[in-house]
Amino acid sequence: MELWHTHLLREQIDQTSMLVQGNRACALGALDAGVRFFAGYPITPSSEIMEAMAYELPRVGGVFVQMEDEIASICACIGASLAGQLAMTATSGPGFSLMQEAIGYAIMAEAPLVIVDVMRAGPSTGRPTAPSQGDVMQARWGTHGDHPAIVLAASNVADMYRLTMAAVRFGQRFRTPVTLLADEVVGHMRESFSPELASRYRLTSGDFDFTPGYVHPDLVREVHPPHVLGSKTHPHVTGLIHDETGFPANENAKSEQFLHELFDKVGNHRDELCLYDIKNEGKGRVCIVAYGSCARSARAAWKLADQEGLPVEVLHLYTLFPLPVEIIQTVARRVEFILIPELNLGQYAREVRKMAENWTTVISMGKVDGTLISPREILERVTQLVGKYETV
Amino acid sequence: MTLEIEQFLHSERLPHIWCAGCGIGIVTGAFLRAAVDLGLKREETVVVGGIGCSSRAAGYVDLGSVHAIHGRALAFATGIKMARPDFTVIVVTGDGDGAAIGGNHLIHACRRNIDITCILFNNQIYGMTGGQLSPTMELGDRATTAPYGQAEPPFDLCRLAEAAGASFVARGTAAQIRPLEKLIKQGIQHPGFAFIEAVVPCPTEYGKRNKPASAVAMLDEEKARSVSKSKAATMSAEELADKIVTGILHRDVDAPEFQRTYAEMAARATAEAAERARAEAEQGAAAEAAEQAGQEED
Repeated sequence: MELWHTHLLREQIDQTSMLVQGNRACALGALDAGVRFFAGYPITPSSEIMEAMAYELPRVGGVFVQMEDEIASICACIGASLAGQLAMTATSGPGFSLMQEAIGYAIMAEAPLVIVDVMRAGPSTGRPTAPSQGDVMQARWGTHGDHPAIVLAASNVADMYRLTMAAVRFGQRFRTPVTLLADEVVGHMRESFSPELASRYRLTSGDFDFTPGYVHPDLVREVHPPHVLGSKTHPHVTGLIHDETGFPANENAKSEQFLHELFDKVGNHRDELCLYDIKNEGKGRVCIVAYGSCARSARAAWKLADQEGLPVEVLHLYTLFPLPVEIIQTVARRVEFILIPELNLGQYAREVRKMAENWTTVISMGKVDGTLISPREILERVTQLVGKYETV
Repeated sequence: MTLEIEQFLHSERLPHIWCAGCGIGIVTGAFLRAAVDLGLKREETVVVGGIGCSSRAAGYVDLGSVHAIHGRALAFATGIKMARPDFTVIVVTGDGDGAAIGGNHLIHACRRNIDITCILFNNQIYGMTGGQLSPTMELGDRATTAPYGQAEPPFDLCRLAEAAGASFVARGTAAQIRPLEKLIKQGIQHPGFAFIEAVVPCPTEYGKRNKPASAVAMLDEEKARSVSKSKAATMSAEELADKIVTGILHRDVDAPEFQRTYAEMAARATAEAAERARAEAEQGAAAEAAEQAGQEED
């Protein structure tokens, strides 16, 4: 498979690495994963993703359409997905809110799909060019009704590439929409990047094969037989509770069973879905649990703490949902504090607290002033927690 | 004849949800006969509906079928058609689904002139939710949310579709089903966005709050109010005030269709890419030659 269809980006390459923007890396990851359909609507700070797709897709036999709004964008993606195409859209908070009803439809109809949300400060119009992680719970619970969710979080340019590929693959294997969260800084920053290096990446949670190239992954066993338009079965697809034929099923017991099956296909595979990396594993009194741009500050804070002899470990989460229950609880059993720096008022900290509070103290470190959390700020908090004991 | 349409009908899902006297079934029957006549293939035909009484037609046709979310059938259909240009895509929608919540998608589908056929069942009321006012309801008509009479003027959907760029615009009624069947057939064959407004009676929710109340009387009235496009051309605006103008109201077979213009754009993109690659290769070769020449001189 030819990986660099991309003249726009190729011009910048010096064969091994190049300076690439996070949003562009996301588009590259999508192309290399086989995405051939993109429908979107302009919104800061995600627009560069759709601009790259508008440039690349027509050259590779793909489809790019700028739709009339975000609702139309995701609905067109669902339509393409039902017709057998790998589809993706990208947006930011306000657009993500508009998409929520249709995301529920995609979950219900088991239509694979990738939604990239480059988060900006909210609520409402908020601050379009300020980074935020305010959409974490929207990504989990934005659409109505009980439903499963797969949510990944990118912390740097390489992540934008490889996690987009992971999102495509998870979507295919679990036949469900997958949300990739980034924040404005991750989307807009430029870093030295090479797809080769980005795909050679080891995680504590186990090696994930980020090798570029579209692979049609096997479905997990809990997925219902897919209904693809154009197949011999001329299927019916609906957002109503339905049975395996695709037609509405109004029986109470069947409805409940159907919903449980949707949950189980994600919940039963946490070991596969939960991607994370631990630094200084088992050596900390404080564990910084972080994701997105905050994870980079957390990693830097760990190095600073190490210089000062403070016992810190870092749990960097690439998958926010399904909740990485096992690793959070393992960490909770061995540390005195879990510290969660995030660019919101403690959305994920509340989730971690629910899982960990029996064993440890969970401390939320939220920030919503539109700036990043610096390593120094994290270090200060760590020092407050464990520093004084060390110096006695 | 009924047997012929059964090949495209999910008979096992009958009886349908529509009320006695409803016009949606009549028009769905017309669509099925058109599908038989055109020889549509199950694997290459997709019917997309939104939410509402008329959108439920998608669930009774034994073709590829999608029962989408409220108002978004055309957006789903756009994705399906762009992903599979070989499909025949038909949207079944209502006045609420297509002209209220989905109005933005309707005008943009018209503007794109994408090769989709949209049959909009206009019963001037929200039937499924129990008789609320719709954007095609006449001034003064009553609904549960217009208990003293509708205070807003209605859309003329065919004029809207034409102004927005649809290249085939037609109107028919459930009372004159053979002409409507022909319009649907012509719409499906048309190479571009075909908008067909099917005026249907809703005796249950509309009729009972407005006159006439019965299904038969409503159909009779529809028939009496209908005038063909050619006859309408000879009538004054006053004479046309409460008339339903039927037939093909606008047709432009040469209007640029989105699949075609997209393919042309993609061809340009590919050519540009090839041209650039060629120029780069030439440049590289020239640089290499210059380097070699330099070495020889040394």
